[in-house]
Amino acid sequence: MTSTFFLDGQEVPFTPGQTVLQAALQAGRYIPHLCWHPEVGPHGSCRLCTVVISGKPFSSCTQPAMAGQHVDCDTPELQALRRAALQMLFVEGNHYCPSCEKSGACRLQATAYFLGMQDNHFPQQFPRRARDASHPGIILDRDRCIRCERCVRASRFLDGKNVFGVTQRGIRTSLEVNTPSGLLGESALAVHDRAVALCPTGALLPKEGAWEVPIGARRYDRATVAEADLREYAMTEAGGLQEVHHG
Amino acid sequence: MLPNPMPPARDFLEPLLDRAGRSPHALLQLLIAVQHHYHFVPSEAMEVLAAELGVTPLRVKGVVSFYSFLSDTFQGEVVVHVSDNITDRMQGSRELAAHLCDLLDVPLGQVREDGRVSVHFTSDIGLGDQGPAALVNYLPVTRLTRERIEALARLINARTPLSAWPPEFFRVESIIRRSDVIFRRPVPPGAGLRASLERGGEILPAWEEDLSPSDARRHHLDKGGAETLKELYRSELRGRGGAGFKTAIKWESVRSAKGGGRYVLCNADEGEPGTFKDRVLLAEFPDMVFEGMTICGHVVGSKKGVLYLRQEYVYLLPHLEAVLARRREAGLLGRDILGSGLEFDIEIHLGAGAYICGMESAMIKSIEGRRGIPRQRWPLPVHQGLYKRPTVVNNVETFAKAAVVSQRGGAWFAAIGTPQSTGTKLFAVSGDVERPGVYEYPWGVTVREVLRDCGGLDALGVQLGGPSGTLLNAEAFDRTVCFEDLPSVGTLMVFGPGRDLFEAARNFAAFFRHESCGLCTPCRVGTTLLENYVSKFARGFGSPVDLEEMRGIARTLRTMSHCGLGQTASLHLIDSFERFPAVWEARMGTRDFIPAFDLDGALEEARGLTGRTDQEAHLTPAEVRA
Repeated sequence: MTSTFFLDGQEVPFTPGQTVLQAALQAGRYIPHLCWHPEVGPHGSCRLCTVVISGKPFSSCTQPAMAGQHVDCDTPELQALRRAALQMLFVEGNHYCPSCEKSGACRLQATAYFLGMQDNHFPQQFPRRARDASHPGIILDRDRCIRCERCVRASRFLDGKNVFGVTQRGIRTSLEVNTPSGLLGESALAVHDRAVALCPTGALLPKEGAWEVPIGARRYDRATVAEADLREYAMTEAGGLQEVHHG
Repeated sequence: MLPNPMPPARDFLEPLLDRAGRSPHALLQLLIAVQHHYHFVPSEAMEVLAAELGVTPLRVKGVVSFYSFLSDTFQGEVVVHVSDNITDRMQGSRELAAHLCDLLDVPLGQVREDGRVSVHFTSDIGLGDQGPAALVNYLPVTRLTRERIEALARLINARTPLSAWPPEFFRVESIIRRSDVIFRRPVPPGAGLRASLERGGEILPAWEEDLSPSDARRHHLDKGGAETLKELYRSELRGRGGAGFKTAIKWESVRSAKGGGRYVLCNADEGEPGTFKDRVLLAEFPDMVFEGMTICGHVVGSKKGVLYLRQEYVYLLPHLEAVLARRREAGLLGRDILGSGLEFDIEIHLGAGAYICGMESAMIKSIEGRRGIPRQRWPLPVHQGLYKRPTVVNNVETFAKAAVVSQRGGAWFAAIGTPQSTGTKLFAVSGDVERPGVYEYPWGVTVREVLRDCGGLDALGVQLGGPSGTLLNAEAFDRTVCFEDLPSVGTLMVFGPGRDLFEAARNFAAFFRHESCGLCTPCRVGTTLLENYVSKFARGFGSPVDLEEMRGIARTLRTMSHCGLGQTASLHLIDSFERFPAVWEARMGTRDFIPAFDLDGALEEARGLTGRTDQEAHLTPAEVRA
């Protein structure tokens, strides 16, 4: 059974149980998002996918699609708010794009380009966060962590390992590793785990193969985040591509 | 230094684990027990809990580090938490805390070398009408003065056990200044419940309806519940926690929800700074609250109630447990209430210091033993609440009012107040007034009337509904408090003439930064940015550009945040800009922009490394500007 709702005035079909974000992406309509991923579902934390329905804001990744409803998404006001939320993510951590191995394959960076973000705008917070290079194959760089908890969910639900969790609260919320020492090296995390692949930034980065794909030929060098996502999700939907190539 | 020898955590926890059935849901309650016993959560206790409850050690750490009253390091034999609300500060709490630290010879937030004591600040502890106040080993000490602080320091230094301290230090008063229909004639224990049960009519002899005796009883209970629900509709009662949702609609949603094992949850988290009406209700009229919960159980078909009591009110626990025991004895709780066959009982869960847990879905997570992070919007708690069961969540005052509605009928209740705000409302009044305390008024009272009654007519401004509410100036004092005009949880913090409202803004901004749960971007980062901007003004570096920046951040917070905390966290600032512009004008160091980057602050590390503390090692504000 298929019904439809209106996204920025255009009809979008959906099946009951789908969220606004899912239905939109399936219809080839892009809504920016960082914490949602088809394999681990919504988290409702990055807030970039916020849309306005009947005058009220909702995160589209958690909002069930309903027949006939009018959803505002691509409005100047909402794009500006998304940009502001994105800038907040940039200033609360330490993101040095020019020297970061993930540059060009980074969803955070690509989304910033997509939303036309020109600068960080807000005062930089320069937090001091511990880095963890104890794992032979993966580096955990908390400077780049945006607390989307994709790795937490992927490790638990896709890899069946439960390697990650969060501690503290508020601005001090911290991604931690579920080992006695708290070090990644002691964990069962493997380089090809979904937890690593789903990291939208360079917080979880494989050590081997750095710079293998040259700058200019990386995932978001060749396509915008919208194009890359829509292509990937369409293939995932078709059961074709499961492995996501992240640079 | 740790107390020596340390009793092993396993021995302490074993009987508690048995009693809790080793359920992972008991994690937070057990951690609180450990914290109270050891004054921290030793790593051994964390290991035992993880192993015995079958959860990961990281999950235990995640919970310990989330709640303000749990600590993974020893906090001393005596742990002092000084309430840090603006009303406490206005009464000199900051100076008193500094004096206490001096007398105890311990820096704020650190444990004294001999392991005797530590002093901390904490978010408002709900004693604004008898502050400044503090918690000492989790028990409130009220009406702090210089003399009382000096007495405290002497007792702590002399290692006098708390049990030998003067009992008046720990006296918490229920200051009721104005009683209206409900305070004046509270529901006698059982009266509301009996009325609800009697609405089921006579229990028909089984043969008459061709029903088994148990079916006849069930039919009778169901009919009573349906009739009480109608009374609730007639009463137009709306939730007293702030949002004002119609109580009858919420109850009916759970009544008609699919699935058994429903829960009735009472929100006694009362974390909104300046609010203490629920404390007085729980201290003086607990029967009305428990009765309302039991009636709710009758209406929605629930057998289990949970009252979530904020950590700051743990001193009320023995009293509340005694009331519950008395009600069980009187047949008002248990397996066969008043011989009707109705089954319902109530247990009390403790919070551990997190304002966010006043948000219903965060409270549910907290009761389930987790970090108090608000859930996604859907499914609603009425469909999948506590342990994924249909759940009613109401405020303490709402349940008390529901008991009144059941006893006296919906029409009687609806005749009080205004058309869209029926009944009465409890107000917690504090700050620069002659008579702080709790006031009961019908909805629709003007701010001015309240100010007249409490002796605060000369007020400069009033923060109505706590920091998440609205800041009013004198022009707004003739407005009415009700859902039609100024909805409110019923909190008035009054700022008298001569008060610098900048200090309130600063206090509230710090409060929201401290209490943000950290889940969503706008709230986690936005509350921090806002506090930093307020600090910039405090340092004299603010400019009109910065005000514009704050407005922009406020807009992002309001629209993009996941839950009510972030959505309301900036309102006090916007109100302050609009209604008290002079406060911000006065703090502007310049009309031009000055970068927020703190040049002098950036030298701190270098000063630390070189051991410099002299003036020459600092930049002057003029140098910073140049």
